[in-house]
Amino acid sequence: MSIAEKMAANQKQVAISEFFEKNKHFLGFDTLNRALITAVKEAVDNALDACEEARILPDIVVKITKLDNKKDILQLEVEDNGPGIPRASIEKVFGQLLFGSRFHAIRQSRGQQGIGITGVVMYAQLTTGDPTHVESKIAKEATAVSVDIGLDTRKNKAIKSNQDRIDWGEKAHGLKVKTKMKAKYQRGRQSVWQYLRMTSIVNPHADILFIDPDGEKHHWQRVTERLPGRVEAIKPHPNGIELGQLQRLCSESRESRMTTFLRRTFSGVSGRAAKELCEVAELEEKLKPKSLSPQKVRALLEAFQGERLLKGKPVKLLNPPTSCLSPIEELLIKKGLSKTIDSKFVTTMTRVPSVTQGNPFQVEVGLIFGEGMAADKPVEILRFANRVPLMYQQGGCLLTKAIESVDWRQYGLDQAGGRGVPKGPAAILVHLASTNVQFTSEAKEALSDNENVMEEARKAMLEMGRGLRKHLEKQKKMGKTKEKFELINDIIPAIAEKSASLLDLPVPDLAASITKIMSAVIAETTTTWNKETKQTDVHIILYNYTSRARSYTMLVNWPERQGAAMVGNELGGRKEALGVWAWKLETLQPGSQTVITYSLEGLEKGDWNETDVFYRGSQEVIGATKMDEKLLDEIRRQEQAAAAPPPEEDIEDTDGEDETVEAVPQSEVAHPTGDTKQTTLFGGDY
Amino acid sequence: MAERKSIEETKVALHDVVREMYDRIVKGDPPTMTLPVRTKNNIGFDPKLGVYKYGKKRTIRDATSLGSAKQLLRALHVIEFIESMIDDGKSSTLREMYYISEGWGLGKFQSQNESNNLAEDLEIVTRCLREDFKLRPEEDGARMIGNLTLRERNRRGEWMRINARDDVGDSGYGVPYNVEAEKIEFLEHDIKFIMAIETGGMFDRLVENGFDEDFNCALLHLKGQPARSTRRIMKRMSEEWDLPVVVFLDGDPWSFRIFASIAYGAIKTAHISEYLATPTSTYLGITADDILAYDLPSDDLSKKDIEALNAELSDPRFADGWWQEQINMMLEVGKKAEQQSLAKYGLDFVTETYLPEKLQQLGL
Repeated sequence: MSIAEKMAANQKQVAISEFFEKNKHFLGFDTLNRALITAVKEAVDNALDACEEARILPDIVVKITKLDNKKDILQLEVEDNGPGIPRASIEKVFGQLLFGSRFHAIRQSRGQQGIGITGVVMYAQLTTGDPTHVESKIAKEATAVSVDIGLDTRKNKAIKSNQDRIDWGEKAHGLKVKTKMKAKYQRGRQSVWQYLRMTSIVNPHADILFIDPDGEKHHWQRVTERLPGRVEAIKPHPNGIELGQLQRLCSESRESRMTTFLRRTFSGVSGRAAKELCEVAELEEKLKPKSLSPQKVRALLEAFQGERLLKGKPVKLLNPPTSCLSPIEELLIKKGLSKTIDSKFVTTMTRVPSVTQGNPFQVEVGLIFGEGMAADKPVEILRFANRVPLMYQQGGCLLTKAIESVDWRQYGLDQAGGRGVPKGPAAILVHLASTNVQFTSEAKEALSDNENVMEEARKAMLEMGRGLRKHLEKQKKMGKTKEKFELINDIIPAIAEKSASLLDLPVPDLAASITKIMSAVIAETTTTWNKETKQTDVHIILYNYTSRARSYTMLVNWPERQGAAMVGNELGGRKEALGVWAWKLETLQPGSQTVITYSLEGLEKGDWNETDVFYRGSQEVIGATKMDEKLLDEIRRQEQAAAAPPPEEDIEDTDGEDETVEAVPQSEVAHPTGDTKQTTLFGGDY
Repeated sequence: MAERKSIEETKVALHDVVREMYDRIVKGDPPTMTLPVRTKNNIGFDPKLGVYKYGKKRTIRDATSLGSAKQLLRALHVIEFIESMIDDGKSSTLREMYYISEGWGLGKFQSQNESNNLAEDLEIVTRCLREDFKLRPEEDGARMIGNLTLRERNRRGEWMRINARDDVGDSGYGVPYNVEAEKIEFLEHDIKFIMAIETGGMFDRLVENGFDEDFNCALLHLKGQPARSTRRIMKRMSEEWDLPVVVFLDGDPWSFRIFASIAYGAIKTAHISEYLATPTSTYLGITADDILAYDLPSDDLSKKDIEALNAELSDPRFADGWWQEQINMMLEVGKKAEQQSLAKYGLDFVTETYLPEKLQQLGL
């Protein structure tokens, strides 16, 4: 090799290491703590993505060991039960920057951040000089591949060494990565622990075991067997396209007509819309897309963006399909939150999908409230974009701003001046699922401002807030009822006994005094998980502490929609509406009581913690709410709407001479500017 | 009217309280306890006694709320406890009773304030004294110096003769919590009046300057708001020896209240005002006009001071013209002064100039 060649090679090597060094802040390796989090993140994200694609329920083990305390050298091991990587692909995945197919598809995916696992291999090599050890087994091979991967930074290529095949025993498939790096393990809000905890919240289908450097085990168990829905890739929507991209699409097109091109290449373009777009862009329908001049491409873009009008209006386009989104969904958020934070009250909400600038998106929120958390500190904010936890730059993030914009005081949390992050024993989760997540910077830790997303997030928060307020009001009422019961069950009998003994007289009968003291009808409700029967037991006792006979119809809400079954309901009763059961009770004599009991089958622990009790009758029932008949009618209406067959899609196809329109499901999507009022029937909670 | 009750009378009075609760339950009503309202809106002047007493307003504490019901239950426990002490010939401090209540389950006290208030409630309802209940305070009584002789029955039951000038050190004779006739008898004296003093510093100044001997008086240290035994001993000495009482306090709204409780009766203990208050006592100073007349170093009135003065304007005990004038003047001047601010003119100024001038005005 000539001196010149050597110099050039050196230069290249310096260049890549330098690139890494210079950009480590947005590659996620700027501090020793963050480098470790990023490494865990790349490995775990890959594991989750691979399992999802292979439809496997992930079991992930993360282990961090201290190798050299003084030099901050740690060993990281991540093991999964995913499909594994075929031997030939290992070096590409671990040894090539920017390898992968997901950069081109328009759908929701985790891997929009970082530079992938190769960055970890590079960081490890730069800081310790050692290669990364990889073991991989795919189902159809009997043994696993074992190999050490280093990087040739000149050629952007992997260097393999110590390649071998080893026996994995029982385990059918999976991937093991072991790497040494200069890094620091810290605890707190920005830590591996927090990252894994947050990951487990939004991936309730994953089982994650973390062994920290002190050997302590943190286990987040799987709470659902249901894998996230398969996401489909969608075609770009005219509203979200840029000039360069449009030029590329035109020049690469093999279509012979503009109208066909428009209909086939984009989502949301009907036959009529294709014709109208050509008309306002002043393009002949018969033009070959490939032959479009730059001026004409620009005209088309103007038509796309509504800058060219047809009869004073932009060309009407359908919204993009939302099958490309994979929300976590309310019940699973609830389960995810419940398993990491021990608390009784959780409310969640998944908004209907919406669209901003041609990109479908969906906002989900969750709020957990209870004694386990500090009451005088700001609430914990858990931010996610496409199921990936966001751990840095909380203050500058759109999702945080959405939380701050709500006046939480009216919902029972402390908040100075009604702005900013509220205080109280609560955690708020916000998840944005989108085909195109916009970040404030390359660090990809904070979402940039977007009116439509903000609006959706705010609406969801308000709905949750109402749920929280209802819960707190109910708790207060229950507290008062509890006091009354203590009064009549404990204090009054004690007064009677003590006064009788002091006077040396017989203990008087209390019934009449108690009726006078309570002078009310009281419902006492308990909802408890029965470990033995694996059922949720509900008991409602209705006491008549008034001097007159009373008759009531009692109603409850129950998770019928979630697939629960009501068993052991001896009083019978009848279904009033979806998720609402009713019992017409026999007349309740003064001083008497009636008990309603039933159990819910098909639920897991924590799915159903609270039962709302309603009544129909003239005298108020403490511990129950008067049935709002309008609300009941609303439930019935929604139930009917859900049961009715979906309305026929009205896609006009006047473009007869071409082949039939592809059957891309153009699911009904509410437009963000339209009225997207979404109500949950019991204040945001199930 | 409060007067010492026999053991039997005390028991009957306590049983009446229990009876009220029991009978209500038998009738099918929530149990109750009836009490006079204990605020300044329910005290009135009793011309026969010359002191302020509770009026006719009554409040009924009934067991329809958890808080009130617990109060009733606690009252029953306290009554039971008092009866057992009477039967066993024991007594206890209010603080001891608070700790004993730990064993009362649902009837347990949450704070000592609660137990003190309940003891007072029972005094009021039964018209007994807490001495009848065998309950005593831990509050220590005042100290006294002057040429007077009394005898006190000591722990061994022997009478001890004490001269409050010759038989005591500089800190004076310590007034015990019980100053009733079974404990203290007054024998003889050579004094013309009793001077009650708010602060320990001023008391010590007058003692050091030999004021008691120069002016033939007894000096009594009040220790701020005087304890029941302090007020009671003043009352007994003033009545039994027919001596005038002059009260020398700081010049601020709180001192006015101390004087009112000495001369007219305190709102909290209005049920036994005739037993504790000395209607013939006189306020010597520091008055609002003293602050101006002697040009005393003073502080601005705080917000709380002003609130207190305004409240005093509508307090029936301060309804007379002189008090209205003093309170309004203090509000107008906006200043208050301590007793010890007289030291501005030297350590002897108070005994050589201020007090002689003030006593002369009062004709002593």
